[in-house]
Amino acid sequence: MSERRPYVRAQPRDWWARKPYLGYTLRELTGVGVVVYGGILLAGLISLARGPEAFEGFRSFLTSPLSLLIHLLLLAVMIWHVVTWFQTMPKTMPKLIANGRHVPQQKLTLAGVGIAAVCSAALIAAFLIAGALP
Amino acid sequence: MHHVDTDILILGAGGAGLRAAIAAAQSAPELNIALVSKVFPMRSHTVAAEGGSAGVVQSHDSLENHFHDTVAGGDWLCEQDVVDYFVSRCTPEMVQLEHWGCPWSRKPDGHINVRAFGGMKIERTWFAADRSGFHILHTLFQTSIQFPSIRRFDEYFCVDLLSDEGRVQGAVMLALSTGEFTAIHAKAVVIATGGAGRVYSQNTNGGIVTGDGMALAYRHGVPLRDMEFVQYHPTCMPGTGLLFTEACRGEGAFLLNKNGDRYLQDYGLGPASPEPRNKFMELGPRDRLSQAFWHEERKGNTVSTPQGATVLLDLRHLGRAKIKERLPLICEMAEQFMGIDPATTPIPVRPAVHYTMGGILVDINTASPLAGLYAAGECSSVGIHGANRLGSNSLAELSVFGRVAGEQAAKFAKMAGPAKRSTQTEAVEAKALALLTQKGDGERHATMRAEMAASMEKGCGIYRLGPEMRETCDTLANLKQRMAGVTLEDKSRVWNTDWITAIELGYQLDVAEAMAHSAIAREESRGAHQRIDGFEQRDDARFLRHSLAHYQDGGPPTISYGPVKITHLPPAQRAYGALGEQADAAARATAGNKDVAHV
Amino acid sequence: MSEVPTSEIMERTKTIELRVLRYRPVSDHEPVFQAYQVPYSDDMSVLQVLQSVKDTQDGTLSFRWSCRMAICGSCGMMINGDPRLACNTFVRDLAPNPVTVEPLRNFPIERDLVVTVGDFVKKIESIYPYIIPKTPKSIEAGEYLQTPAQMAAYESFSDCINCMLCYAACPQFGANPDFIGPGAMALLQRYNGDSRDGGQQLRLDSIAGEDGVWSCTAVGVCSDACPKQVDPANAVNQNKTKSALDFFLRFIRPKDQGAGAKS
Repeated sequence: MSERRPYVRAQPRDWWARKPYLGYTLRELTGVGVVVYGGILLAGLISLARGPEAFEGFRSFLTSPLSLLIHLLLLAVMIWHVVTWFQTMPKTMPKLIANGRHVPQQKLTLAGVGIAAVCSAALIAAFLIAGALP
Repeated sequence: MHHVDTDILILGAGGAGLRAAIAAAQSAPELNIALVSKVFPMRSHTVAAEGGSAGVVQSHDSLENHFHDTVAGGDWLCEQDVVDYFVSRCTPEMVQLEHWGCPWSRKPDGHINVRAFGGMKIERTWFAADRSGFHILHTLFQTSIQFPSIRRFDEYFCVDLLSDEGRVQGAVMLALSTGEFTAIHAKAVVIATGGAGRVYSQNTNGGIVTGDGMALAYRHGVPLRDMEFVQYHPTCMPGTGLLFTEACRGEGAFLLNKNGDRYLQDYGLGPASPEPRNKFMELGPRDRLSQAFWHEERKGNTVSTPQGATVLLDLRHLGRAKIKERLPLICEMAEQFMGIDPATTPIPVRPAVHYTMGGILVDINTASPLAGLYAAGECSSVGIHGANRLGSNSLAELSVFGRVAGEQAAKFAKMAGPAKRSTQTEAVEAKALALLTQKGDGERHATMRAEMAASMEKGCGIYRLGPEMRETCDTLANLKQRMAGVTLEDKSRVWNTDWITAIELGYQLDVAEAMAHSAIAREESRGAHQRIDGFEQRDDARFLRHSLAHYQDGGPPTISYGPVKITHLPPAQRAYGALGEQADAAARATAGNKDVAHV
Repeated sequence: MSEVPTSEIMERTKTIELRVLRYRPVSDHEPVFQAYQVPYSDDMSVLQVLQSVKDTQDGTLSFRWSCRMAICGSCGMMINGDPRLACNTFVRDLAPNPVTVEPLRNFPIERDLVVTVGDFVKKIESIYPYIIPKTPKSIEAGEYLQTPAQMAAYESFSDCINCMLCYAACPQFGANPDFIGPGAMALLQRYNGDSRDGGQQLRLDSIAGEDGVWSCTAVGVCSDACPKQVDPANAVNQNKTKSALDFFLRFIRPKDQGAGAKS
C-alpha cells in the first residue's frame, strides 16, 4: 500500500448563494417569477369562468396598490428573464460565421433583447391606440 | 519495486516521444509500448514553441535551398547526409500532421500558408497562428490515444537507465503520486526528454527542461556531442525570459535600439528595407542577432529596464488586425505580463537561452552507440543543427526523427531477445533513497541551482573568455561535490518535488559540465560559440569537427573530437544580408547553375 | 526555478502574506492553512511567489508548474477563491491584502496544491479526440483543403490548454464528478466542428446520458474562468440541441451509422 490518500473536499451546501454563482441562481429564480405571473393569469381565467361577480373581484384586485407593487416586481423579474434568456441563447447555438469570422455572442444577445424590446413597445403602443379609439 | 515488461520504452512524451510512439505503434502493432513522462503529455515543453515548422512547399523553393540554409545556418558543423534526409522528409511529415488534424493556418483558398523565418532564403515555415508547438503537441497526443498498444505512464520520473552487456535493458521510474519505484524492462529504449536550457538563469524554457535524458545516457557511456553550442533567442521577455516568437520578425517587426535605429545593419545584416527580406536584418540567424545585442549593450545603445538591458521589438507598423490574427499569443503575453499593447508600443526584449543544439550522439537512424538506445528531438544530436539552429527546423525535427526513432526501435525490439533483469534495479532504488535520507550540512539545493545558473550565464554566455569558462568549470565541479551535502526538507514519498528537483539538479550539473568543458576546449568561434579571447575566427583546419564529451565518474568529462560529414556543400563563408547575396552570387558563378531538386 | 543573484532581478521591497492550503497525506488528518511572508516585486506572478517560498523558506511545498506563460496548463489553482493560472495572476493586482491559495476546487487533493487529474485525462480520451477522416487521402496527395472560415468554426475549441479551471468553476461537476465536463466537451466540439472529420455520430453517442451533456444547467461560469477564450459553455450547450435532436431522429437514422460503426 502506498502512502497516497487523496482528500475530497465536500461541495458547500450553499454554493449557489456564493460568488460567482449568485447571478446564475437569480436567473433561475426568474423562472419562478414567470410561474407566479402565470398563476395570476390562471386566477383571472378561473374568476372569469365563475361569473361576473367573481371576475369583478379579480379586476378590483388588479387595480389595488398591492397588485401594482406585485406587477412592478414581476415586470422587473420578467425583463431580467428575457435578458438572461438571450444571454444564454447564443451558448446553445453553433458558432455563427459571417465574412470568415465568427459573430460574437454579445451581438446576438443585443439583437435578441433589442427585438424583444421593439415588439413589447409595439404591443404597448397598439393597446394604447386601441384604448384611445372609440 | 514494481516490474513491467515491455518491448519499447519511450522516455518523454513531447513532440518527438509521441511521434515515436505513434510510429512504433503503426509499424509494429503487435509490440507493447510504454510511454513514460514526468508530466502529462500536454505539459511537455513542445507546447510552448510558437513560430512554426519548416517544410518546402512553394514552387520556387527547393530541398537544395532548405539544405543550404540549414548547413550554412549551422556554420558547416552539420552532418550533410542527415540534413539531406531531413529536408526531404519535412514536408511529408507536416502533411501527416495536417491529416491528423493540426490546424495549420491557411491561405484564403484553403492551402497551407507559409511564413518567412530567420536564416531561410525562401518562406517555408508552416504555422498554426503563433501557437504552432501547442497545436502540434496536442495533435500528436490526441492522435496517440487511438493506439491501444501505447500504454502511458503519466507523471513517472526516470531516475536511471538500466544497461548491461553493452545493451540498454530499460529504466527505473519513480511514480510522483506515490513515491514508489517501477522498473520497466524493455528491449529498446527511445530517449525524447528535451533540452537543458534551465542550466542558465534567463531562459525561455519551462521548469521541466532539465536535461534528464541527456544526463542518463551520458552517465551510461554515451557521448554528448557539440554541447558548447547553446542558442540564445534574441527576442525574449526581460526578467522571465519568456519567448516572443521569431514569427514577429517574419511578419515584419523591427528591432530598434534606444536611439530608434534598426541597429542590425551595423552588424553585416543590412541594408535595411521597410519590408522584411529573407536572410536580411531581423530575418538573420539567431546567433548573429544575439551577438549584435551584446555589442549594442557594450556601446550603451540599449534601453535600461529594471530587469536589465533591452532593445525594442517594434510591431506597430503591422497594424492591430494583423497582429491579432497572426500573433495572438504574443499580444496576450505583452498585455498580461508587461501591460504593453504591441499595436501602440514597442516591446522591450533581450536574448535568453532557448535551445540546446548539442545532445546525445546518434546516427541518421537515431541510434546511439549503446545498442537498443535511440534518441530524438532536442535531447539528441542527430547532426542537423550544427553550431546554430535555424528557427522552425526543431519542430520539424520532432516529427522527422521521432518517426525514425519509433520505427528503428520497433525493428530492434522485434529482433532482440528479452531484456535482462538484474540487481541493478535495487541499486538504482537504493541510490535514489539515499538522497532522500541524506544528512548533510543543510544546504538548500535551490541555492546551488542558482549558483550553477549564474555561473553558466557568466562563463558560457553569448561571448566567451577562457578564464571565465575555466571558472565555470571549477564552480560546477565544486557544486557536484556539494551535492553530497544536500539535505532535503521533505522526506515524504507522495509528491515530493523537493526530492525530484534535487535529482534534476544532479542531471543539470552533469550536462552543464559537458557544455562548459566542450566550450573551453573549442578554440575558435563558430555559430553560437563565440570567443573574444584570441579565438575570434572560425578555424576549419583545427575545429571543423564535432566535440564529444565523455562522462568520467567523480571527475570532469574528457573531450574528444569526431569528423563532420561533408557531402555536397563545401565550407564557405557564412554571410547574410547584402554580403550573403554577394557570396551566393559568387558561389553560383563558380559552380555553374545547379539543377534544383524538387519536393 | 532559481532566484537570480544578479542585478537583473527587480528588488523585492514589499512583502505579501500568502495563505496556502497544505495537505500531507501521512502527517495531516485534513488540509490546513499555512501562512508565509514573502518579499515580492511588482512584476512577480503568484507562481513566482510560490517558487520563492519553495526555494527559500519551505522546500516541502508541492505544486505543478512548467511553462510560466499560460500555455502548458499545469499551474491551475484557486487564488482568492477564483480558479486561476498561478503564472499569469500577478501579485500587484492582489496586494496588499493577504493572498489565499488553494488547490483547484472540485478535485481530490493528492498533496498541497496538487490535485488528482487522472479522471479528467480519461474523459478526454473517451470522446474519440482525433480526426476520423471523412474521405481518405494519401500523404502524397497533400493537405486537405480548409478555408479560414471553415477553421473559424472550430478554432477556439482547439485552443484548450487542459488546465481544468473550467472544471473548478463548474458547480455541476462539483455535484457530479462523473459529468464529462466543459473541457472534454470543448475538445469534442473541436473535432465535430472540423470539416475534415467524419466521426460526429460516434462522439454524439458518447455524451448522451446524465454524465454526458445533461448534467449541464448552463451556469456559464466555465467560459468566464477559461484563460484562453475557448468558450466551453458553448461547446456543451450546442451539443444539448444536437443530442436531443439525435435522440428523436435515431429512429429514422440509416442502420449503418451510430456507435461502433467505423466511418
